[in-house]
Formats: sequence, C-alpha cells, structure tokens
Amino acid sequence: MLQAIELTKHCASIPAVQNVTFELKAGQILGCLGPNGSGKSTTVKMLTGLLEPSRGRVLFRGEDIRRDLVSYRKRLGYVPEEPNLYPYLSGREYLEMVGILRGIPQPQLEKRVDSLLALLSLYPSRHSAMASYSKGMRQRVLLIASLLHDPEVLILDEPLSGLDVSSALVLKNLIRALGQQGKAIFYCSHVLEVVERICSHLLILRQGAVIASGSTDDIQKRIDHSSLERTFHRLVEDVDPDKVTREIIDVIRAA
Amino acid sequence: MTRWTRTLVSAKWDAYVCKPFPLLVRLAMNRIFHGSNSGEEELNMSMGLLLVLLAVPGGFVSIFLFDKYGSFLQWLRGQTKFDPLAAALPDEYFFIALSMVVTGGVALWWWDSIFPDRRDFANLVPLPIPTSSIFRANSVAVLILTCLCAIDVNAASSILFPVIVGASEPRFRVMMQFAGVHALVVVLASIFSFFAVFATVGLLMLLLPYTLFRRISLYVRTVIVTLLLATLSTSFAVPRMILDLPRSSHSPLRFLPSAWFLGFCQLLRGRADPSLAELGHVAIFALVSACVVTLVAYTLSYRRCFVRLPELADAPPGHLGARTSWIFHLLDLLILHTPFQRAGYRFVLKTLFRNEAHALALGGFLGLGVVFASRTLFSAYNGKGSTPLPSANVLSIPLILSYCLLIGGRFVFDVPAHIRANWTFRFLLDKNIHESVALARRVMLCFVSPWIFLVAFPIYLYFWGWTVALLHMGLVTMWFVLLTEVLLVGFRKLPFTCTYPPFQHSAVVAVIAYVFGYFAFTAMTSELESEALLSPVMGEVFLVISLGVWYIVHRVRRSVVEVDEPLTFEGAPAAPFELLHLTDGG
Repeated sequence: MLQAIELTKHCASIPAVQNVTFELKAGQILGCLGPNGSGKSTTVKMLTGLLEPSRGRVLFRGEDIRRDLVSYRKRLGYVPEEPNLYPYLSGREYLEMVGILRGIPQPQLEKRVDSLLALLSLYPSRHSAMASYSKGMRQRVLLIASLLHDPEVLILDEPLSGLDVSSALVLKNLIRALGQQGKAIFYCSHVLEVVERICSHLLILRQGAVIASGSTDDIQKRIDHSSLERTFHRLVEDVDPDKVTREIIDVIRAA
Repeated sequence: MTRWTRTLVSAKWDAYVCKPFPLLVRLAMNRIFHGSNSGEEELNMSMGLLLVLLAVPGGFVSIFLFDKYGSFLQWLRGQTKFDPLAAALPDEYFFIALSMVVTGGVALWWWDSIFPDRRDFANLVPLPIPTSSIFRANSVAVLILTCLCAIDVNAASSILFPVIVGASEPRFRVMMQFAGVHALVVVLASIFSFFAVFATVGLLMLLLPYTLFRRISLYVRTVIVTLLLATLSTSFAVPRMILDLPRSSHSPLRFLPSAWFLGFCQLLRGRADPSLAELGHVAIFALVSACVVTLVAYTLSYRRCFVRLPELADAPPGHLGARTSWIFHLLDLLILHTPFQRAGYRFVLKTLFRNEAHALALGGFLGLGVVFASRTLFSAYNGKGSTPLPSANVLSIPLILSYCLLIGGRFVFDVPAHIRANWTFRFLLDKNIHESVALARRVMLCFVSPWIFLVAFPIYLYFWGWTVALLHMGLVTMWFVLLTEVLLVGFRKLPFTCTYPPFQHSAVVAVIAYVFGYFAFTAMTSELESEALLSPVMGEVFLVISLGVWYIVHRVRRSVVEVDEPLTFEGAPAAPFELLHLTDGG
C-alpha cells in the first residue's frame, strides 16, 4: 500500500536520512525504531508529505504521493511527535475544524467527534481551552483527529507519549484492531516493549540509514537475542549502558 | 594604571554577575523583556532594537518642532515677539502624554511576564533558593527595566526639545533649568504610567480569583490601550483648556493624569497659577500612590499567586464556542460555501478574539479609530448646530472607523499565532487550490459591515433623512470593499499561519503608506462626497473617480491572480543556520 524508495533528505548538505527503502502493506503494523537523531521523524515527515525528499519517492498504491498529495492525505491519518495545538481553541473546536477541512458533513462530524471524545474520556472537557489540557489529553485529541475520517494509512509518531495507563492500553488494542481490519500502520516509537508487542514488522534506523528491516520475529532470530531490547542494542551499539552508568556514578561521587 | 583599573573593575564585575542574586535578576529581566513565549517563533525583538524604536517617536516629534521655534523661520513669518517658554506649553503637554502612552504600552506588552511564571516556578523553586530571593530579584528587574524604559523613551526629546526651544535663549542657566525640568517631568510621567499599569495587574490578581483574572485580562488590557490612545488625542484640546482652568472649577482636566504632570512641570518652572499648582500636587500624590499601591499589590499577589502557581490552571475550564456555534452554522448557510472557508473563518475569528497579541493589536487599531473619529466629531460640532447636509467631518466618521478596522485586520493577519501548531493546515490544505483571499475578504468585511448598517445607517437616517443616509452608506460600502481589495492584493496565506511577519522588513514604508492612505480614504473622500451632495456635477465626477480606482484595483488583482501562486506558510526563507547564544545566559 505504501512504499518508500531510497528516501534521502539532506539538511544543510548533511544527510539526515539516506536511502531508506521499505514497504508497508495493508494490515501490517510497521514499527520504526532508532536512537535520537537517527532520522525517524524526518522519515515520518517525508511519508506524510510535510517534507519533500532530496531524493527518492514515496508511493501510495503505486503512485507517487507528490503527484496528488491532497488525495493521498485524504486517506492518511497522522499523529505528530509533539502535540502542538492551538491552545485557545477547545478540543471540540479543533476537531470540528479538522473534520470540516477533511470535508466530513456537519451532522455526521458532530456525532463522530462527540462519540470519540466520550470514548477517549475527553467529553467533560470538550469545551475547555486546550491550554488547560494535559499532554495526554492533547495526545488523545490528536489521535481522534487522525481517526475522524477512517483513514487507510495511519502514521503514528510516539502516539503513547503522555498517555495514562488505561488510555495507552486502549490505544495499543486499537492499533492492533485497526491492523486486523486492513489498515496500514507506521508506528514510530522509543518504547521497545510496545513495539515488540504490537508491531508485526520492524524498521531500524541508525544515523539516517536502515540497518535492519523485516518481520519482528525474523530480526530477533537473525540477531539471536530473545528480547527486542537486546536486539536493538546489539544493532545500534550506541553506548555501553553499564559503562556509562558506572561513569555517571563516579562523576556524582567526585562532586 | 588605567588598564589595571579596567581589568580590576572587569574582574570584579564578572565575579559579581556570576553570584546567585544578579543571575536571578538577569533571568527575570530576560523573562520580562522577551515575554513568557520567547520559545515560540513569534514577534520577538532584541533589546537594542526595542530601545531604538521606543526612542524614535520623541526624537521625530522634536525635529518637527524646528519649524515652530526656529528664529529664522519666525523672522520670515514676521513673529517678532515670540516667547518660546510660553509657546512650549502645548508641546510640553504632548511630550508628557507621549511618554505616558509609550511607557504604558510597554507595560501592557509585558503584562503577562511582569510576574514570575510557571517556567520560573518549575526551574527555580526546586533549587535551594528562598522564594523571597526570587521576589527581590524580580522586583529589582522590574525597577531596572522601568527606569531604563522611562529614560530611553524620553532620551531624545529631553535633549532635542530643550535645545530647539532654547536656541534663541541667551541665558544658559535658564535653558539648562528648562531642560532639567522637562527631563524630570517626562521621566516621572513615564514611571507613573508604568506603575499605574503594573498596579492594575497586581490589584486584579489580588482581588479576583486567578481564573477570573486570566479571563478578563485581555479585556482590561484592551480598555487600557484605548485609554492610552485617548490620552494622546487630548493633546489637541488640553493646552487650550489649560488656559481656561482658573475660570472652570469643574474642569475634566482634574481627572487627567497627563494634565497633572503638566501642572507639576509648570510648578517646577514657577509658572503655575493656583489651579495648575493644584494639579501639580495631584501629580506628586498620584506618583507616590502608584508606587505604594504597586509595591503592596505586587507583594501580596506574589505571595498569593506565585507560591500557589502549580495549583492554578493556566486557562480556566470554560464553555468555549458552546453558545456561539449557531452563528457559524448560520454563516455557513449564508456566506461560507466551502470547507476551506468554513474551517478558516472559525479559526481566524477565534484567534482574533482569544489570542492575546492579536486581540490587543486589533483593539489598538479600533481604539485609534475611536479616538480619531471622536476628535473629528468633536471638531465637527464645536460650537455649531445641526446643518441641513452633513459636513465632510461628519461624513468621514464611518470611513475613519472602517479604515482603522480594515488596516488593523490586515496587519494582524501577518502576525503568527502559535506557529508550531500550523502543521495542521500544512498537512490538510491543498496549497494549489486555496481561497485565502475569499476567506480574508469575508473576515475583513464582517468586521465593518455590521456596525455600518446597524449603527451608522440609523444615525444618518435620523438626522439627514433617507436620501443622504442611503447615498452615504452606499459610498462607504463601496469604499470599504475597495480598500479591502487593495489590502488583499497578492495575499496568499491563511492568516496567522505564516512563520515570519514580512512587515518587519518594510515597517517604515508601510507606516508612511498607512498615513497617506488614511488621509486619502477619510479626508479626501469625505470632502469630495460633501461637495457631491451639494452639486450633482461633482457627484458625477466623484462616481467616475470611484469607478476608475475600482477598475485599476481590479486589473492589478487580475494580473496577480494570473500568477496563480500557491498557498504559503513562510513569509521569508529560514536562515540556513542560527547562533544558539549559549553564553548569553538567556
């Protein structure tokens, strides 16, 4: 359904993402992992069309998304990394605005917004300014905005950030259920346990390049580690956590 | 020796500024100056630029006074008996009013950052610093910035104005005395204005529940902006009223702070009659009271609000939009035909009325319009009864208000609002098929048309009958639609979503254009209309001129539309790199 072909992005001549290639099929939940600065968010922005690749293409159903970005976005739901919202709008007003821009008819939109607000425990504060919302509440607003139009593709960048335990549980189940319904889901996160539990496939980035991709089980078998945490650490080899821990304690004691 | 002294002083200073208290003072000054939202990519000026901008009005006005006080020009005009000190009274008043307005405006700008905020609480309270130290550091920062602002606003006028007035004065002592009194009075007037605004914030925080304070804060600021502008506009009337003060025991000047300071000025110069001296004493009392009230209100509200900051909600729980949604549904049926227009209209109106910077800026333009309109109305009826046909001044009132509202609306469209949240529009909108002009036109016209038809039309109808009322409303409508079209030439963005306000590059040109536009739109149009009401021939000429202007704008707009530019979210390209200023301590 969604294909990234040799996606490359240079920021001030420094490559942020290099030759990232993968395919996301209907019903697949693809987890994107990588340390800070590995190019996850840049990849997400290119997949959503917010950022134009320096080289490479994103194909949706075989068509370059740049040829008809609007019709691609009509089928796309997106939760960005940071819940940047207009603080002086209420949650309901924001969702209504998004729904209108998506062309959902007014009566249907109001019904859907109210139902989703109620299901995600936001109904009592639907008329309050989002400035008074916690991070988790804003995250839930973004989640509703991404689902309002029943998209075919979902791109989620750290969707669990700030969510309380029950909301996180609902979201994890929801992602699995949406996957089973045939939605293609691109899931970007740092939380390895969640990725391990809900993602059928993995894409691991390091310094802007893909260092591993395939089904979650295959990657773990290939690296020969039982947990994703160990597998990830082996692949990325960013730092030696034990060594750094010892050094931090030494510095604190010396002070 | 000099180098050794310099090195020693420098080393001592460096050691001092690294101590906790000076660091706290610097932190508070940075917060007050840059505001609580300095992290956002919104309008943010450096301190140097702001200080220059604040000093400019006083300097410019002083330079314009060369014409009045230049001895050669007086000789050319045949003014042989000219007392510069007596003639300086209206200008002295203007400088006092100007200093109060500019400093009051700065205090309003800093309204939300005068008190320590959540970020201060989160960063400072966990550290082993007594809250009393944070309080003292903030107080010192406020004092430093108040004095800096008061001196800067009046610096140019304190030098130039006495030099211009005293150029023909042979006695150096008299000139120095004049300069000293002027500088002292304008600086004190500035300090009074700053503390009056500060005391208002403190008292409101002290007396009202925090949530209510947050809710009404914007409206209070808008009222203060209007009062400040009204103070400036009194410069045209007060000097004349001052002369009548001894004969008028109930003069409204007794309630005007700028008049108090004029009285204080004359008192120091030994030129005050008893009534002016009385005003001068009121000035001293008011200044001391403002300082005391500020200190008490600040201390108590600090104890009440800062210490309890984590318990207080930033925005009160409310019912935003719950009661007004029917208006939007009605507008959807009448004028908003596409999803872009419907969503954009809701977004623009809510931003204008709820986002403080935008509401204040628009309120400022509206206040300016009200001040200009009332002054024009005052001069139109000054000692005259009703006339069979409205004068040019009376005809210009709706034009003045329309002009200020439309210019204000267009100006605030360029000011970004929470720019990081604009991803929603970048993600959802089709850049190539947009209706930004249609949307902006609807928003601008909805600001002007209701009050013209609901307020102005009945008034003209009542005083001058159907013919004049209908003709005038028709003309006003035509001209405000025309002005809207002119202002929207080349407009291709959703208001408030552009990253960079382009007016920063061309501010001076824009201000000059706005001033000329004001005279063309209000004075010239109303004069022509007044003539047209008297003579049908002039009416035809006026109609031809209007149609000609309309046609030119139409042609220009068409040629711009033909370019077919996509929707933009950036007013100017971002810099390829930026300095992080890691050593600035900010």
